[in-house]
Amino acid sequence: MFYLDYLRGELLRRRARTILALLGLAVGVAVVIAIAALSRGLSQAQKSALDPLGSIGTDLTVTLQPQTGGGFAGLGAGRELLSANQSALTDLSKLGKAGDHFVHDFFLPGTQLTFPSTQAGQAATLSGVAAAAPGLTLIAVHQEGTVPKIVAQFQTGGDLFRVNRLLPRMSAAQLAKIRACFAKQLGGLAQPGAKPGRPSGSGSCFPARQRFRATFRTPKQTLKQVLSPPQTNIKSSTYAIGGVDQTQPQLALVTPDQVQKGAYLGRSGGLEALVGTAYARRQKLKVGSTLDLNGTRFKVVGLVTPPLGGQSADVYLPLARLQKLAGQAGLANVVLVRATGSAEVAKVQRELEQQLQGAQVASAKDVADSITGSLVDASNLSDTLGTALAIVVAVAAFLMAALLALSSVAKRTRELGTLRALGWSKRLVVRQIVGESLVQGVLGGLVGVLLGVIATQLFDAFAPTLTASSTVGSGQDALGVAARTVSAGVALKAPLDVSLLLLGFGLALVGGLLAGAAGALRAARLRPADALRAVE
Amino acid sequence: MTGGLYELSGVRRVFRQGDRLVEALAGIDLSVAQGEFLALEGASGSGKTTLLQLLGGLDQPSAGRIAYDGHDLGGLGDGELTELRLRSFGYVFQQFNLIPTLTALENVQAALAPHGVSDADLRRRSEKLLDEVGLAERASHLPSQLSGGEQQRVAIARALVGEPKVVLADEPTGNLDTATGGEIIELLSRLAAERLATVVVATHDAELAKRAPRRVAMRDGVIVAE
Repeated sequence: MFYLDYLRGELLRRRARTILALLGLAVGVAVVIAIAALSRGLSQAQKSALDPLGSIGTDLTVTLQPQTGGGFAGLGAGRELLSANQSALTDLSKLGKAGDHFVHDFFLPGTQLTFPSTQAGQAATLSGVAAAAPGLTLIAVHQEGTVPKIVAQFQTGGDLFRVNRLLPRMSAAQLAKIRACFAKQLGGLAQPGAKPGRPSGSGSCFPARQRFRATFRTPKQTLKQVLSPPQTNIKSSTYAIGGVDQTQPQLALVTPDQVQKGAYLGRSGGLEALVGTAYARRQKLKVGSTLDLNGTRFKVVGLVTPPLGGQSADVYLPLARLQKLAGQAGLANVVLVRATGSAEVAKVQRELEQQLQGAQVASAKDVADSITGSLVDASNLSDTLGTALAIVVAVAAFLMAALLALSSVAKRTRELGTLRALGWSKRLVVRQIVGESLVQGVLGGLVGVLLGVIATQLFDAFAPTLTASSTVGSGQDALGVAARTVSAGVALKAPLDVSLLLLGFGLALVGGLLAGAAGALRAARLRPADALRAVE
Repeated sequence: MTGGLYELSGVRRVFRQGDRLVEALAGIDLSVAQGEFLALEGASGSGKTTLLQLLGGLDQPSAGRIAYDGHDLGGLGDGELTELRLRSFGYVFQQFNLIPTLTALENVQAALAPHGVSDADLRRRSEKLLDEVGLAERASHLPSQLSGGEQQRVAIARALVGEPKVVLADEPTGNLDTATGGEIIELLSRLAAERLATVVVATHDAELAKRAPRRVAMRDGVIVAE
């Protein structure tokens, strides 16, 4: 076929120009593919780490936080939390005699108020709510060391005081009265038959306020003083612990999907625990390890990657077990709610806020928004910069292809004029030029796809780890507990699939066609005689 | 109808150069008969290239009438002119104007391909013409690998492969030495005569023009002698 021979000759025998146009398109395609794959990888990483509730079937979380004020979560409740959180210090004295070695885990409510776990059932009756499950997330303070002497006792009081008082000068009338009194008493003595007077009898002649001696005793009292927290050899570490309603595994703080190794908690709620992978690594825990919590021995049945968000924890126990351990029988501090449909979420959120005064109702999105870290930064970056970059590169590649096509047509003006003189119609000339561009687009697309695959493979080989962090508790130091940060590392991948490659390839084709159209349009406008006059 | 293949009367062609009008042809009356071998003589700028382009349907007159085979070329559209160029006219250029990325054989095929002949015919007819101009063994060479004379032979083969009624040659020997130029004119006139084709050659070379049975001299856009 002559036209194909011509096309092949044109591409092969003008190799430098062909390679330039081809590489321009290929680089554009590769960059678009790489950026698209990367931003897809980011959103996948985000989904696994940042979409803490959506991925586990929970739409809303309900908590009570004292600082919201109003309702039953006022200032008094805040004080309760404060004293509960401080119990870790004072209760040390109950662990044994001073000087004894101890290991103990204190379970502190953090910043969330507790409420009867039956409230979850109430939430479930709201219209638009498919299911609701209670959960208990506590901050556990693990302490180990020697029991310190914490409480000092002092006794005060019981002292006797004597006071000599300075007497004011007496008036003349008082003196006369006293003299009369003395005279009467002395007179009595002189009379026969009189009883012998008391030697101090004369004292009674003075008015009471003039008596010169007084005594008083201070009241006895015992003062106790709580000493400042012991700084001895006590090691303290903090982790988050969650009570899971294991009967509703799909709507719990952690779900079976998030089990990495081992199994999920049994339905019966035995002495089993799930441990977050990061915490397990730090504590050297494995599936089958034993976790001793204040004498209760839990068996680690599974390792999980907990979702980030306000309710994530390092250790998960069946709800009833944690309630008992923490002395919070029948109490929960979070309700996880699933709506009947995504359209209902906003409505249910409003309803819950109205029904439960002072309750904080967070949607999955609210929680995701609270998450920070390099993953979020990278994701935001890819959302804005990545897209912009991809567009710039794609446009640049297309422009380059179009300019190359135009310049090649300009250089071939006389050749195209000759073809017209030989009897080639405009249509035939345009077809030939568009055909050349199209083939360049196809080749550029193929090379670009190849480059894109290589780029993403290289990226995957080095897969950088991005972190996402979320704060457990709202960081209210006033409540006695500093905010804790839970982090998750996610290896960033650049996943490729056929649709992405097709997209890149399609872009190259469009680029090739645009370039061809630009060149062909110019060629078609040329008058044969003018074209022939052009200097090569 | 006076029986001539071409009938030109009062043909003018005016070009705009900036804000100046240049009259390349200032009223040409000419009649060319079927099968004639005509030399257009004149210095460069005398208007012979413009006249050749009008005769070949590459350009259209500003005024006057060019009748080819009874049709007014000035009244034809681009499609009809293209068809005429393909089937009735063959061109030979001073610069050869071969397609640089095509071999000698492919350059000949380029003029025949739009006829819609089969691949086998295309190849056979093109090879036959290359053979007639003596370049059968150079068929797969690129223009850059051929001498000037050889390139012009390829161009003659290309001009004739579509069996045109008219061959229009614009300074076909302008880039060749005298001996080669002579061979080219010889070849062109022989092959055209075999096909009963009309030939119009534009040249500034009086020696060459002498070989033509009919000579028309031009100067400043008009015919000055015949």
